[in-house]
Amino acid sequence: MLPLRYALGNLIARRTRTALTVGVIALVVLAISLFSGLVSSLRHTLVSTGSADTLVVLRKGSTNDGSSAVPLEAVKALRYFEGVARDSSDQPLASPELVVQPFFRTRQGGRENVLVRGVEPMALQVHRGITIVAGRMFEASRGEAIIGKSVADRYVGAELGSELVFGRSKWKVVGIFESGGSSLESETWVDARELAADSKRPVPYSGLRLRVAAGTDPDALARRIGDDPRWALDAMPETEYYDKQAESASIFYVIAIGLAVLTGIGATFGATNTLYAAVQARRAEIGTLRAIGFSRFSILTSFLIESLALALVGFLIGSVLAVGLGHLVSFLLGGIAFGASTFTTNVVELRVGPFDLAASLVLALSVGIAGGFFPALRAARLRPIEALRRG
Amino acid sequence: MLKFLPFIWRNLARNRLRTTLTTSAIALAVALVCLLLTMPAGLDAIMSSLASNTRIVVVNKGGLVYPLPYAYLNKIRARPGVVAATSWTWFGGAFDVDRGVTFPNFAIEPDSVGTVWEDWGIAPEQLEAFRKRRDGALVGRTTLQQNGWKIGDRVTLSSTIFPVSLEFQIVGEIPLERAPHFWFQREYLDQALRAKTGTGLDFLGTAWVRVDEADRVELLLSEIDAMFRNSEAETSSETELSYMKNFMGQLEGFVTIILIVTGLVALCLVFIAANTASMSVRERVAEIAVLKAVGFRRRLVFNTLLAEAVLLSMIGGGAGLLTALGLTQALKAAGAGWSPALGPLGSFIITPTIFVQALFLALFVGMLSGWIPAFGASRRSVASALREVF
Amino acid sequence: MIELRDVSRTYKRGADAIRALDHVTLDIDSGRFVALMGPSGSGKSTLLNIVAGLDRPDSGEVVVAGQKLPDMSEDELAAFRARHVGFVFQFFNLIPVLTARGNVELPLLLTHLGKAERRERALTALRIVGLEERAEHHPNELSGGEQQRVAIARAIVSDPEIVVADEPTGDLDAKNAVEILELLRALCTDFGKTVVMVTHDARAEAHVDIIHSLDKGVLADPEMAARA
Repeated sequence: MLPLRYALGNLIARRTRTALTVGVIALVVLAISLFSGLVSSLRHTLVSTGSADTLVVLRKGSTNDGSSAVPLEAVKALRYFEGVARDSSDQPLASPELVVQPFFRTRQGGRENVLVRGVEPMALQVHRGITIVAGRMFEASRGEAIIGKSVADRYVGAELGSELVFGRSKWKVVGIFESGGSSLESETWVDARELAADSKRPVPYSGLRLRVAAGTDPDALARRIGDDPRWALDAMPETEYYDKQAESASIFYVIAIGLAVLTGIGATFGATNTLYAAVQARRAEIGTLRAIGFSRFSILTSFLIESLALALVGFLIGSVLAVGLGHLVSFLLGGIAFGASTFTTNVVELRVGPFDLAASLVLALSVGIAGGFFPALRAARLRPIEALRRG
Repeated sequence: MLKFLPFIWRNLARNRLRTTLTTSAIALAVALVCLLLTMPAGLDAIMSSLASNTRIVVVNKGGLVYPLPYAYLNKIRARPGVVAATSWTWFGGAFDVDRGVTFPNFAIEPDSVGTVWEDWGIAPEQLEAFRKRRDGALVGRTTLQQNGWKIGDRVTLSSTIFPVSLEFQIVGEIPLERAPHFWFQREYLDQALRAKTGTGLDFLGTAWVRVDEADRVELLLSEIDAMFRNSEAETSSETELSYMKNFMGQLEGFVTIILIVTGLVALCLVFIAANTASMSVRERVAEIAVLKAVGFRRRLVFNTLLAEAVLLSMIGGGAGLLTALGLTQALKAAGAGWSPALGPLGSFIITPTIFVQALFLALFVGMLSGWIPAFGASRRSVASALREVF
Repeated sequence: MIELRDVSRTYKRGADAIRALDHVTLDIDSGRFVALMGPSGSGKSTLLNIVAGLDRPDSGEVVVAGQKLPDMSEDELAAFRARHVGFVFQFFNLIPVLTARGNVELPLLLTHLGKAERRERALTALRIVGLEERAEHHPNELSGGEQQRVAIARAIVSDPEIVVADEPTGDLDAKNAVEILELLRALCTDFGKTVVMVTHDARAEAHVDIIHSLDKGVLADPEMAARA
């Protein structure tokens, strides 16, 4: 086997060429991990929102809270459906909710549709993982609101103790809550009756969340609700509901993959060029090594190692830059707002995670192997006497 | 210079493999840049192609989901300077209930549509048919294509907001790529609601107003808002352009990322091209020395080498543009036009601006990548170059 | 040591067939310093390549160090060269990114020797050519003569029976050329190597045992060189 120093030494010897090729791979890694980071951050936000033993009840045909309405009688009846969990004081873990999307003014002077959820105190128990990290829960009928972590500081008045203006009223922010990075953090919660009055909704509730009792099959309960002839309702586990919401993000995956494949091929061509040039420039050297008795295989390996080393260095530089740029973008833009699919704004924190880096590592190594293979093969196939011949 | 073209060409043809690989890499990168740019360009294009500077929109100050009393429309119509006004009321109709709402559909007033959106070029006879048929519908081109509908078809939409399903007959097309709307008569919905619930439709979603001249727009905006101040539903009036900017401002972060990625890909392009240029110059040190020895001037050597790099990247850029055009056609054929998640980002149309931008990118890359090696080679003294080789 | 029987080799260059070797029969004894001389295109390099196991004849028998070369595969030939043949080239062909010692060590990487022993042997070979103190220099820091001596150290480090040298003095000045010839001479005399050298250099006659002249692929009668 040829020493590693031979492969690496050659990379160092041809500085410009190596730097440009490493640069190409680093840029590809950077672009791909940033984009993949964006997509997986979005997905993480949507997917981490639901839990499997909580049902979302909406009007049949509604794909999200915003476009649904559930009659009052249905809400009353569903609370006491068999299979709905109870809390310690035997109250059903059911949370009737009203969702509207009023304009919030951003600090930069724009406006966004923010999801405001009118709830009852029970909501804190029905939704899992909600923690009030500052202030307290709102009290009913006092014009109070609690805001998610991503809402805080993004909009005018969105801070503890300030007045938030939306709908037809002013709301006093009394608490800030977290929910483990889920999309709930992009929401504002107020008292359901107050919100209904403010938005003049003919039907006070848009949907209902039900916690399923232990030992009851969530799907079975969902079917019973869906089949009830009194109301045209649909029920599904929260996980499924948010999966559907996240489905809209799948197009981004397609784009990410397309992007990765195309840039990967481009970078492969670049690497191939570099290594072909290296083979061409080192013909005599390769001939000498073959004359000395190195096998074709060891020449092949050595060139592949050279190519993989290029890719690896490119990956290292690119991934460090990607993580840094991810932080920088989050720092400069705060969070990245997505509003296209449901008309409500989800604020996503861009984070280039291990998955994104792993994906771009695979890409970089594929570029290394694919870009190195044909030149390495040519090097290995050089016949020593021809390689040694000058000119 | 022109007489050297064959010489430049032959140099590119000499290392065919490298030229092919470089051209392909450049083509791929340019195609990608084009595709990525279609997204932000889609936003701009929507704004400029759909928005008119004499059309304004009035919405509830509280938000798009907050309705306005229907009586507002006539009050607005009565203002001086208003040529026509119509309302949009979101019907939330789903063609297939399981798939939900797949295109925006609104109840509107058929009489004023043609005036408010006269710049959209809807055929007069179709507008006429729309006015006459109570169950008529005007449908955007992409929505027609995606659902495989044609004029004359009957379709039923089930509302996810109102307790009704309505059957429509498509009477016309909104001939714009970027307007996926489905419009139908407000009266039709009103009567259906009356029959079903006893109460008609007493609110509207947004009001769209055509103003007689651009100079009057600013004044009218403040007049309308003043008219409804301190009422139960305060309004927020703005030009169509500003409305769309606000609406799409929510995509800003995403567009920023797209632009960053585009920039990175473009930079990649420079690197790939520069690598090739530097390799080919390096391998031709002796040749260049000979050229100079026989009397070629520095300037000429420089120009020849630069022209080679520029030619290479222009060929790549051209191929990339064609690829991008082909891909966008394919995407359109595959029906990826209006993805709910991408919204207006998913239009993937190569505009003339993108076309020009891509060509300039290729030219710029060629210049940049060729400059340094060409400069170095033209500067190098003949003696030192020959010494290195022989 | 080296036996060639009735060896022919034809090359195609374009449409023409060039007969590089025409029924050449040659024996070289062990421990001899042999020069192959002749004008350009006389076939001397082809002959050298065949002896070294780099090229194969179209017909004829070649037995070197007891091995029938024409019967061997590419990889077997590579192994044969690694074990039995050391190479010295006109342009030295050192690997620029490796130090002198790294270059000399290269052939030892094909053996089972450990790291310490490889290093030891490389230094020994460098001592033989008188460049021990330059061991950690890169080729571009060495003069032409020094580079060629490193190349000779590389050729003998794995202790092959045969050293082939293709115009080893072709790129050197007079003083260095003589030193290299003396070094090759010493390889025969002091270490018992068989050295086969292609050369144009008239000075070589004073150092070699036998001169074989080739013209148009045909071998003339051997001449005993001046010193023999």
